[in-house]
Amino acid sequence: MKFRCERADLEKVLGTAGRAVTTRGGALPVLAGIHLELAGDQLQATGTDLDLTITVTAVVGGEEDGTAVLPSKLANDIVRAVPPGKIEVTIEGDEAHISAARSEFSLRVIPADEFPRMAEPPESAVQLDGAAFRDALKQVVKAASSDDSRPILTGVLMAAEGDGLRLVSTDSYRLSVRDLPGTSVLTGDESVLVPSRSLSELSKVLDGDDALTLRLGERDAAFESGDVRVSTRLIEGDFPNYRGLIPDSQPNKLVVNRAELLEAVRRVRLLAQEATPVRMMMKSGGLELVAVTQDVGQAHEAIDATYDGEELTVAFNPEYLLDGLEVTSGDEISLETVDALKPAVLRSSDNPDFLYLLMPVRVS
Amino acid sequence: MHADLDAFYASVEQRDNPRLRGKAMAVGGGVILAASYEARARGVRTAMNSREARRLCPDLIFVDPRIDAYTEASRQVFAIFDNTTPLVEPISVDEAFLDVSGLRRITGTPTYIATQLREQVRAQVGLNISVGVARTKFLAKVASGACKPDGLLVVEPAGELNFLHPLPVRALWGVGAKTSAKLAEKGITTVGEVAGIDLQTLCSLTGKAAGHKLHALAHNRDQRQVVTGKRRSSVGSQRALGSRTRTFEELEAILLGLVDGVSRRLRDGNRVGRTVTLRFRFGDFTRDTRSHTLPDATASTAVVLDAARVLLRQRRDEIESRKLTLLGLTIGNLCSADAVQQSLPFDQRASPQLDSAIDALRDRFGTDSLGRATLLGKSTGPAVPLLPDPGVQAP
Repeated sequence: MKFRCERADLEKVLGTAGRAVTTRGGALPVLAGIHLELAGDQLQATGTDLDLTITVTAVVGGEEDGTAVLPSKLANDIVRAVPPGKIEVTIEGDEAHISAARSEFSLRVIPADEFPRMAEPPESAVQLDGAAFRDALKQVVKAASSDDSRPILTGVLMAAEGDGLRLVSTDSYRLSVRDLPGTSVLTGDESVLVPSRSLSELSKVLDGDDALTLRLGERDAAFESGDVRVSTRLIEGDFPNYRGLIPDSQPNKLVVNRAELLEAVRRVRLLAQEATPVRMMMKSGGLELVAVTQDVGQAHEAIDATYDGEELTVAFNPEYLLDGLEVTSGDEISLETVDALKPAVLRSSDNPDFLYLLMPVRVS
Repeated sequence: MHADLDAFYASVEQRDNPRLRGKAMAVGGGVILAASYEARARGVRTAMNSREARRLCPDLIFVDPRIDAYTEASRQVFAIFDNTTPLVEPISVDEAFLDVSGLRRITGTPTYIATQLREQVRAQVGLNISVGVARTKFLAKVASGACKPDGLLVVEPAGELNFLHPLPVRALWGVGAKTSAKLAEKGITTVGEVAGIDLQTLCSLTGKAAGHKLHALAHNRDQRQVVTGKRRSSVGSQRALGSRTRTFEELEAILLGLVDGVSRRLRDGNRVGRTVTLRFRFGDFTRDTRSHTLPDATASTAVVLDAARVLLRQRRDEIESRKLTLLGLTIGNLCSADAVQQSLPFDQRASPQLDSAIDALRDRFGTDSLGRATLLGKSTGPAVPLLPDPGVQAP
């Protein structure tokens, strides 16, 4: 195999495919590599950890077809390190030669026949609005669990909702629900559970406003956008019944400027150490935030807000609160509560398509 | 000073059963949990399997462990510690460091206090306790070990180096079989010889961090204070599995029993923890641990069980091929349960109401009044607490 291209192009190809490469020393050493396949001027690079697979294609100046598996981290580091301009990659036997300007590298390749064969992406395809979907992913991936001992919660539920698509995630402490009206991917009570890690990587490799194609299969799904395809295994199992947890209406409603609250929580959080919460004291005059860490100190801040309801203090994990405030759109948000122990609901005042439900911290 | 009960479990048995006194006896079934001094004299050691022990000492008497009795004795002894000085740092169920340096005018000299403490433990609990007294924790610990059983050893400030230097290198904290073998290759067998080599050479032999530590200890520099008030950072329990091979299902049931007990102790102490650690000991006596850190601290039996099960299943092949002889569970990274992140109620099993309802029933009717269906008809045997429970000490 032999090809030339711009360093910047190869950097993007290897960097993108490398995002799927496992960083943990797994059982299969070949998974630490990126699979390269050159046919004519088409270079295809694939990285996988078996759950998540990212494939990138690019047009290069091909001289000799072939396949090879390069160690991902080393190849990425080399390509990033060499000066901009032309770069040439040649594979001979079990050695790869990378040369750019006056730099020459040769490195041992990983036997290509050990690389797992990738299943063809499912046939059926639907088009999604790439920008809207990426926006929705950013809103939901954070609330998914990263705890592998609860595999169902590490997924994002994609389900039909009316004539649209709904994305739901929860780590059992907060719950994100995002509706994409008019996006019909699934119908009836169809739903799939997509690993949030895959979706998080997808949101990072999605390019701007490119159209997005979704191919859904029984056990896997593939997202295609431009030159990139992100394939992922689906999680099997039943997502918890979240619907009953979202109250229709709640007695107490706080309306506040989102940026002001966000900044204030970030400041007050400095004194919410050792897993202590930030307390929100809500009364008709406005909102006060308090954080107290024993033997360290305390922080207090008052914020203008409209509050309709009983005087109430609710404590939250500041990180969870910030996560919600950061992904809710618009200038103004509402926080609806029942009492200090029941779920609070965060919404944008001008966009009904997203809600963030947050469980309080019980303080004694 | 360092106070350490002698052959703790075995001594409790000998105290409660006069026929065992003066005899070689051991607590435990398949694996020895504790051996009396009479048995130790014949070579019987803790963690030895019973066949080996019988070979060494054919008339060895085996007694089933009574964890409740040991817990109660431990509680009583710690109460005496707490009465002696407010500065008590528990190390395990049967040993603690006590700082009595400020009590000279109030109670008396350390030697007097140690003598009193030993008498109180003997009179009130009926057990022998060995006490080492010195200016540093390290020397105190070495001294209590050196004067066992039923001893008191005071290392006077002027005699520290004379006491320390003839000791074998194994006496130094952190020196195990590997390091001592490495040092022995260079002809270094005593603490004094360690003190005789310069820091750089020592570091090149043992690694940098260990080198600095050993160098300091060998020169009798030990700055560590007796730490109290620091609430315990982990709660754990372990179970020796004996010589019989257990099926994986049995192991899961045993794990459930451990989780049940440990999470209960967390709730009793108003604590929550984030890190779940499993300890394994295999047939060849090698040990290993696996841990998982949860996104949030918990004292929920169901949440801990989920994490612990995953850890156990990950090692299933190894457990089955290498034969597991001990399984332990520790919950670490503890913090106060004063601020508890509430969970969405879709996971009914993890409901705090269920846990507290079970706790309340067991408080009223005893631990055995309510059990897991999985454990029905299975003797999971005694689980051994690794440390005195949080909340045992007076605030």
